[in-house]
Amino acid sequence: MRLAPCHGSRVSTCPAAGVRFAVVRIFVIGAGQVGSTIVEALHEDHELTVLDTEASRLQALTGRFDVSVYEGDGTSRKDLAAAGIRAADLAIACTSRDEVNLVAGMFARREAEGVTTVIRTSSVEYVELWRQGQLDVDFVVSSELETAYAISRILGVPAARQTDVFAGGQVQVGEFDVDEDASRDVVGVSLREAGIPSDSKVAAIIRRDETILPGGDDVILEGDRIVIIGSPGAAKAWSSLLWPQGGAVRDVVVYGAGRAGSAIARVLLDQGITVRMIEASREQARRAAEAFPGTRVFHATGFDPDFIERERIGQAQAGIFAMRDDAKNLYASSLMRVHGIPFTIAIAHEPVSIPAFDQAGIDVSVNPRAVTAEEIVRFAHDPRMQQVAMLEGNRYEVLDITTRESSRYIGTAFRDMPVHGALIGAIVRNGQAIFPHGDDVLQTGDRVIVFTEAANVPWVVEAL
Amino acid sequence: MSQAAVRIGSPRRLAVDVPAAANLVGTLGKYLGTAALFPIVVALWYGEPIWPFVVAGLVTSGLGFGLERLTAGAAARIGLREGFLVVSATWLLAAAFAAIPYLFAGGAQLSSPIDAYFEGMSGFTTTGATVVTDYDALERSVDMWRQFTQWLGGMGIIVLAIAVLPRLRVGGRQLMESELPGPEIAQLSERIRSTARALWVLYVGLTALEALALASLGWLGIDDAMTEFEALAHAFTTMPTGGFSTRPRSIEAFSAAAQWIIVVFMLLAGANFALMYRGLVRRRPRVFFRDEEFRLYLALAVLASVALTAMLWGYGIAEGEAAVRAGVFQTVSIMTTTGYASTDFALWPALLLLALFALMFVGGSAGSTGGSIKVVRHLLLGKILRREVDQTLSPELVMPIRLNGSPVDERTVRAVASFTLLYVGFWAVGSAIIAVDSAISGAGLGTIDALATAATALGNVGPGFGVTGPMGSFAPLGDVSKLTLIGLMWVGRLEIVPVVVLLTRHYWRL
Repeated sequence: MRLAPCHGSRVSTCPAAGVRFAVVRIFVIGAGQVGSTIVEALHEDHELTVLDTEASRLQALTGRFDVSVYEGDGTSRKDLAAAGIRAADLAIACTSRDEVNLVAGMFARREAEGVTTVIRTSSVEYVELWRQGQLDVDFVVSSELETAYAISRILGVPAARQTDVFAGGQVQVGEFDVDEDASRDVVGVSLREAGIPSDSKVAAIIRRDETILPGGDDVILEGDRIVIIGSPGAAKAWSSLLWPQGGAVRDVVVYGAGRAGSAIARVLLDQGITVRMIEASREQARRAAEAFPGTRVFHATGFDPDFIERERIGQAQAGIFAMRDDAKNLYASSLMRVHGIPFTIAIAHEPVSIPAFDQAGIDVSVNPRAVTAEEIVRFAHDPRMQQVAMLEGNRYEVLDITTRESSRYIGTAFRDMPVHGALIGAIVRNGQAIFPHGDDVLQTGDRVIVFTEAANVPWVVEAL
Repeated sequence: MSQAAVRIGSPRRLAVDVPAAANLVGTLGKYLGTAALFPIVVALWYGEPIWPFVVAGLVTSGLGFGLERLTAGAAARIGLREGFLVVSATWLLAAAFAAIPYLFAGGAQLSSPIDAYFEGMSGFTTTGATVVTDYDALERSVDMWRQFTQWLGGMGIIVLAIAVLPRLRVGGRQLMESELPGPEIAQLSERIRSTARALWVLYVGLTALEALALASLGWLGIDDAMTEFEALAHAFTTMPTGGFSTRPRSIEAFSAAAQWIIVVFMLLAGANFALMYRGLVRRRPRVFFRDEEFRLYLALAVLASVALTAMLWGYGIAEGEAAVRAGVFQTVSIMTTTGYASTDFALWPALLLLALFALMFVGGSAGSTGGSIKVVRHLLLGKILRREVDQTLSPELVMPIRLNGSPVDERTVRAVASFTLLYVGFWAVGSAIIAVDSAISGAGLGTIDALATAATALGNVGPGFGVTGPMGSFAPLGDVSKLTLIGLMWVGRLEIVPVVVLLTRHYWRL
């Protein structure tokens, strides 16, 4: 059941068509990695125009997706106007250059009335300015900060491949690999009998290419990948069930003290985690040392065995590899595994690096541009939708959506709800997260956290 | 000669614009001479001869004026190099200016040019070491002149000139940084003219306050010895941490109340004036507790006072309030490099002397009127050593030295380390010269006394041990010793570097 198309019309102009999933005209400035990820996520449901200075990038996009493209400069108001920014509901400036994004966001504001502007930045300073209301844009998304948050979430739940939080941190969604270390309380027994942590739900079991939205009779097997929705406490409990030897992370080594490494250090330090930093550039090492008093910053490549041995780098509980070069991150994390760091998180700047990292045994790979794109995509969804998380590339989405009065499931107990390729993991009622049991009943105005395959998103949105 | 040879001309290898520096020194001398007006007023008031001061003023101003005229054609280029020369030369000139009245009106005890110059240098550098033996023979105007030169030298002649003279608006920062005590870390972040004015306003204000506080003791009949003359005279030498007194027994001549008041003002004089300006004038008292140097300064003062008091009591030298007062007074006086004494500490046992000896190397805060190494340098040195130890274990460790939370520039860090080394070096060489000279001339200085005498001059403290003790005099020393001490006082006041650079070839030649 797919949504009726309403192309060529803005939300306000076709209410009579009964379209509930609003088609939004989105103007994307920058067709790089972030831009194309955004296009990939949004092209099916929205009308997209992409502007970039490089024709080759645009061609690559038009080859894959049905979007209109315009070759031009994001900092030129003429080009923006010519590309038709006036009609946009949402302008996303996501080039790799902060200044371009700022200027483009500012011009979009001037050209298109009522447009929502989102800009990508790599400067934490701009994020702070935006929070103080000093920047003339609606939203600012920082690759560095989003990456740092993603990493800090993973460290909180070290067994997870990926985690996202909803409802102000009350609900956590985590994706876990089940391997031989996993506790037999949950593996190999039917979910009904398994000792599943309270306040949590198994949203999906991914077995090779098959996705199971599990019922009480389904069983988690070794080698599965599972998606959990639950309270943060439950997510931690799952983490220790699936990876019993992992404890709370207290001591972390960060390779690279550039923008990414510093943002990570800042977020981790805020959580009371001890951070040691290793940076090969003298100047950046000095800056990091000045920025983080009480943190040990080493001016070293970190590859010298004497150094690693002397500083007991291998005794850290986790290693984060945030250097600019994927190859170095890969090498350093392999080296650190050899020296005894049990848990490694590496930044993969190129998407192609991710499978290579997986192959090499890096526990978690984070692609900053993907994280950024995901964050930006959240702004493009239905206004009822507060937040979206993407899992497994774009295969699955977790939605945070508010139920309407007309939803056909209002008043239905969860026990009686049909399984239609979507699963409600949690509801937020009056600001409180509830992890529903069979007897709970869905009410109007509930915010529901739903797990579904990406293809089912419009259907799910329509049904609720 | 070929045309090219004419154009190229003779080699100009001098790196310093000496005429420009001389021109500025001339200007400063010209205005400095007017300072003689104050003792002239005092002399007139007490019906004493004014001509020694008239001569001093005329000679200094005339010399300055002449120098200024002679070099009038020079481009007024006061750069980094010229600044060092100006500061160094100005202070030599100022000491000479102070010495002229002593030559004419000081009687036999100050009639030797070296003695007069010693007294002049000790005055302007706020050291407080004296060759005077017979205080009663000095006229009141000469007495007041001694005190007044310390007051002028305390906050700095050049800082005063910057505050007042329009000419120094450009290039003044370099001059001021050479003259203001302490490493260049944080001055008031304003234009240097406003900074210089703020410092002087505070300085004048505190001096007036102290003079009033002391004089009121006399008015209230608490301390009959504390006349208005004495109150002003001692306010003039407390705020610059000078230490000259009009009395042979120094502050012992005054009541306990006067001594406590002086302790408070010595402590203030040893604190950072820029910090006090923010804390007191701008009413932000929290800056005091946030300032690492100030906290260490107070902690050291309290710790040393307690230790000294305990020892005095333990040895049975004093008891009760008298012990506390003697302990606190001597601690604060020596540590801030004032150099007053409320008792003849030269007679104390060796352990107490050793404590005072150590305090001579502490000094006041940066940006205070105190001399010596200064608390902030000790603080930074501690952090540097700590870093060295840590980096011995982990050479890759990057550790910025922080002061009050913000990182200190590595150049400043190096400057602190090299200053301290130079300081110790000058002290060692100075001590050796004095020890040898006193052995030859039979001045009766022991080894410890020679070490302390050099330290007291270099740190601008004042009294040493033995014959140069607080109730003694530097008069018995030989001329070589006196010249050495004059040099040490000068180098110590200018914090060594401006003088040392003048001794390098790199400074003079391209």
